[in-house]
Amino acid sequence: MAIYVPKSKPILDSLEDHDIRIEYQCRQGYCGACRVKLVEGRVEYDEPPLAFLQEGEIVTCCSKAITDIKLERPI
Amino acid sequence: MQYTTFNRKTFDPLKEPMFFGETVNVARYDQQKYPIFEQLIEKQLSFFWRPEEVDLSKDRKDFQDLADHEQHIFLSNLKYQTLLDSIQGRSPNVALLPVCSLPELETWIETWAFSETIHSRSYTHIIRNIKADPSEVFDDIVKNEEIQKRADSVSKYYDHFIEYMNIYIMHGVGTHEINGEKITISSFELKKRLYLCLMSINVLEAIRFYVSFACSFAFAERALMEGNAKVIKLIARDEALHLTGTQHMLNIMASGQDDQEMAQVAEECKAEATAIFVEAAEQEKQWAEYLFKDGSMIGLNKDILSQYVEYITTIRMQAIGLTSPFDVKSNPLPWMNAWLVSDNVQVAPQESEISSYLVGQVDSEVSADDFDDFDL
Repeated sequence: MAIYVPKSKPILDSLEDHDIRIEYQCRQGYCGACRVKLVEGRVEYDEPPLAFLQEGEIVTCCSKAITDIKLERPI
Repeated sequence: MQYTTFNRKTFDPLKEPMFFGETVNVARYDQQKYPIFEQLIEKQLSFFWRPEEVDLSKDRKDFQDLADHEQHIFLSNLKYQTLLDSIQGRSPNVALLPVCSLPELETWIETWAFSETIHSRSYTHIIRNIKADPSEVFDDIVKNEEIQKRADSVSKYYDHFIEYMNIYIMHGVGTHEINGEKITISSFELKKRLYLCLMSINVLEAIRFYVSFACSFAFAERALMEGNAKVIKLIARDEALHLTGTQHMLNIMASGQDDQEMAQVAEECKAEATAIFVEAAEQEKQWAEYLFKDGSMIGLNKDILSQYVEYITTIRMQAIGLTSPFDVKSNPLPWMNAWLVSDNVQVAPQESEISSYLVGQVDSEVSADDFDDFDL
């Protein structure tokens, strides 16, 4: 599924705009609930998230896409 | 190694492991081996709240008007939450502080446990508001068989580690004769007990609490016990931080970057770690049977809550690289997350308060290229 994700908005907001439901809680980058695998592309954060992330994971609530990206749900 | 509250040796704290290294001496936060713990402290401090800030006046009448079986659900859930925070307000300190070797981690542990005591105080605040005699509720936590089962499963990994750790800090590694009995303290066993203890703490915060939050919010979804829900939102905001803390600790251990032996422990404990999660999930489902034994409520029953248990367990296992045996791929309680988002918590009906204070947010460093994309 491909959607348009503007650079200015957190990825989670854009996903929700398209009715794609991702788990979330804090929406500030510290809880990790909104983690997904970043399969392709690059994202940036205003501040490094406190959440624990495994290799290749991002938190979508506060990351913004700076290139085309490919995401994979954790479950 | 004899424990001392102020280690006299000269050593570099940036080279110590998280646990079982030198005991800490100077509490300094200008440098950290693991900055994450300092960041967690700052965040938790910015979240500080007092239970009395939350207005519970409407809850009193709501509770009186609840059907008997709903009062059972509400009170049993509250008793379980009280049990969990009673344990969490003391156990991280008792278990982890004597063997912690990093100042930032030591203070994170203290800050974390302190915030759990605020949660405990909030349960007293809630119970005082709905029961003329709070002892009716508090006393049952120790007497009630179903709750005692939970106490056993929640405290056993803590107790198992503390028992071994106490001998370690008195006598060190080796075989010792204590009260006529030969006891062997091995480094591997010590680290294994710590690792599994941390795993069970993560389960407590990331799963057990969240299942209890679901019950609290299910009432609020029906516009009942909304004061309680506001308290729970604040508690949930703290718990999210705590579970991030234990996830980081577990990961630092498993990676071996901190202590090579700990990486080996983590590898060998994978099956046991998985079992801790699965066992907790089964207990939570059994608890759901007890909760709804006299009847369920709109939006929540034994089956839906059990599905939520499996879902949240899967999410939390995946987060730390474990494989869940459960098959639930989507959240059966879609309304949960709206309640969990806590940046804006309205503590009194007429007030709105931004709940996280900005701490240390001004970065006054300016570099040569900071204005590169500035156009006049």
